[in-house]
Amino acid sequence: MKLSRRDLLVWSAGAAAGLLATPVPWKILDDTSIWSQNWPWIPQPARCPVETRQSVCTLCPKGCGLRVRMAGGWAVGVAGLNTHPLSRGALCPLAYAAHQLNWHPQRLRVVQHRTNPSSWEQARAAFAKASKEGPVVIIDGYPGRAASALFETYTEGRDGNYCVVPSPEIRALTPYESWTGVPAHCLGYDLENTRTIVSFGAPLLDGWGTPGRFTRIWADRAAGRSDPELRLIQIDSSLSRTAARAWRWVRSREGTHAALASGLARALLEQNLVPAHGPIPATTLAESAVQCDISMEAILELGRSLVAKSPTLVIARDDSPAIAALNVLLGSVGARGGVVRHSQHSNLRSYTGSDVQNARAVLIDSSVPWNFMPQTDAEVFRFAAWHGASTKADWLLPAPGFLEELTDVPTPPASSLASYAVAPPLVKSATEVHSAAQFLSSIDARLIPTEKMIYTRCEDLFRRRAGTVHAHSAIPISELASVQKLVEQLWQGAVWVGEPSPDKLRCRLQEWPSATRSSPPDDGITDWIPPVMPALASKLYVESTLREAAERRKAWAPATAW
Amino acid sequence: MGARYGMVIDLDRCTGCGSCMIACASENNVPALPQASPRTGLTPVLVRKVSNGQSGAGRRETFIPIMCMHCEHETPCVKVCPQQAVELDKATGIVMQMPQRCLGCRYCMTACPYHARFFNWWDPAWPQGMEKSLNPGVAVRMRGVVEKCNLCHARLHAAKEKAAAAGKRDIDSSDYVPACVEACPTNAIHFGNLADPNDPVSKEARSPQAFRLLARLGTEPKVYYKSTENWVRNLAEPNSAQGSEVQHG
Repeated sequence: MKLSRRDLLVWSAGAAAGLLATPVPWKILDDTSIWSQNWPWIPQPARCPVETRQSVCTLCPKGCGLRVRMAGGWAVGVAGLNTHPLSRGALCPLAYAAHQLNWHPQRLRVVQHRTNPSSWEQARAAFAKASKEGPVVIIDGYPGRAASALFETYTEGRDGNYCVVPSPEIRALTPYESWTGVPAHCLGYDLENTRTIVSFGAPLLDGWGTPGRFTRIWADRAAGRSDPELRLIQIDSSLSRTAARAWRWVRSREGTHAALASGLARALLEQNLVPAHGPIPATTLAESAVQCDISMEAILELGRSLVAKSPTLVIARDDSPAIAALNVLLGSVGARGGVVRHSQHSNLRSYTGSDVQNARAVLIDSSVPWNFMPQTDAEVFRFAAWHGASTKADWLLPAPGFLEELTDVPTPPASSLASYAVAPPLVKSATEVHSAAQFLSSIDARLIPTEKMIYTRCEDLFRRRAGTVHAHSAIPISELASVQKLVEQLWQGAVWVGEPSPDKLRCRLQEWPSATRSSPPDDGITDWIPPVMPALASKLYVESTLREAAERRKAWAPATAW
Repeated sequence: MGARYGMVIDLDRCTGCGSCMIACASENNVPALPQASPRTGLTPVLVRKVSNGQSGAGRRETFIPIMCMHCEHETPCVKVCPQQAVELDKATGIVMQMPQRCLGCRYCMTACPYHARFFNWWDPAWPQGMEKSLNPGVAVRMRGVVEKCNLCHARLHAAKEKAAAAGKRDIDSSDYVPACVEACPTNAIHFGNLADPNDPVSKEARSPQAFRLLARLGTEPKVYYKSTENWVRNLAEPNSAQGSEVQHG
């Protein structure tokens, strides 16, 4: 049989068509696809055993307990620590991706002097020179730590200033300072024992205070109940996340919270809903109703709700004295379920613009919110783990990132009880980083290192023998055999919690505060803004429309993309 | 029949914080790619904001976390998959997605009535060094396949391994908790075995306030929702959601 060219073509076409009916080409296609989906350069997770360590989050001063999963010396996952007495297993959304922050593209890896690469030696020399030439101001965003004590010591010896940028929660407590004589840092809210909370714009369910503390209380006692054990009344101009879930949302015109508080106080007094034993607000109920765009009857109804289930606690978003005065009128200052004192700190100086007027150098700790920018001609040394969108600092100094530094964690803002914890360094930094405290210690050898100070603080706690250590279970500190045991527990993620302060909080209100809108703070900060967000924050801000980045936040922290 | 893992999500407790979305992405090594958008992003749990459609003081809003509903009956994605890349695990009730089998035709995305499936458009990538922070228990998400919630199946494996090491046949329920459940700061998401009538989640699913999305389709989803508010319960069926407004995530 002769094989013609035509036969060959017919046979080839038939074979090709027949091959399609077999699994061979499809298997090859599938395998090629899988092979191309698994290129060798596609990152793969490490294959190594996972262990769980406990620690405390130090990204902001709210001190949430962490369970950190570690593999090969790196953090590979973060979850809340259920045994933590304050955060109770909850975290803010961003903390769940915080372990990726150390690898953020905007991680500050080298010293920068006016955007040019520099070195630690040059930075030390420049700061030492400035310290000799004039006063130094150190600004802290996380007071009460061992590092904060070191900052104070450094400035005391050099005619300098140590001041603090208070968190929004502490700022809201500042009006009580002058009425009680107790610094705002030593005050907190007894949320656990209150039955009605009136929030004037404070985002109680959206990142206010230690995130798990109020959300857990609210979920246990208030959520979804028509007559809850805890009534949350939210006063907001728009339907915020907290207002959406509150027992009652009262809509008031933007910027009229202080006027509403004064009108409410007047209504409480006129209706004899509270004992009249102090000053009377000048704003009448009718004036307040017009200003806030709320009916008089609605304000009266709000007043009745305030006293229906006591104790009642009023929480403001800002430092408006008129709102804070409502707590005085309701007898909630120094009372169970109200504003309470948790500790006996020395008075801390809050930052004002005049602090940096005559300074030669300003050192800003990495705990200070990124959007803080002092208006000064002094040389600014800014410590930061991440480089945000813009800064006016002369020097940018790389600080330890997430879980890279040994630090202590003092009482979080708005807490009702004193607490103390230690965050051990769980991961190593890939580059040379130094905290502001280490930087100062390297300049002045007389300063006591923070590690030693933390140990001394543990010794003090042990000597006082008061309070409880919360590890896997709650152990009274008096039952611990030695200070070494306490140190061991704290280094493993336990938290010491103090007892309620025995000191009676006395409050005197000479005159009713004016209902004018409170002025913006000197530093212009009304919200705590980090330099960058974890990359996975894009799930909330970019890959869904669950959250819209505020214009200001967009300007400061656009770096979810890389 | 084995276990029937499912959830009851208490919408009265959900504050829309998004912790579940981030915890899920972190647990399952889902990357955050700069080119992703709300249309093309990979969000196995997606929290949507819904309202009662009113404005002013009468407006009410709530948040609904949407994930794979793990439909028990006539599971739409299983029915349409030409590659048998999706199957309903008889032992657990989890609808499993096998990316190695998936050819990326996206029929399952079209078939899913809950829009709970996502196509992975890109190779996974992270900034330099960030691969060290990946979860060792889970593979990275490969390009060109459909992804969805698998109730943190790697955690189920780990719980089974732990039980086997202890010589037990059944896992301890506290050892198997999906990442979103663990992360919820208000304990709004409850997880358990719906086949066990004594399981708290099973009891909750039978409460009069519990409902399922698009129950009329008869697919028997294993994710239940709970709310005390009528307007929220009415959203479960689109025809009865007149006047409501959904902001798509």
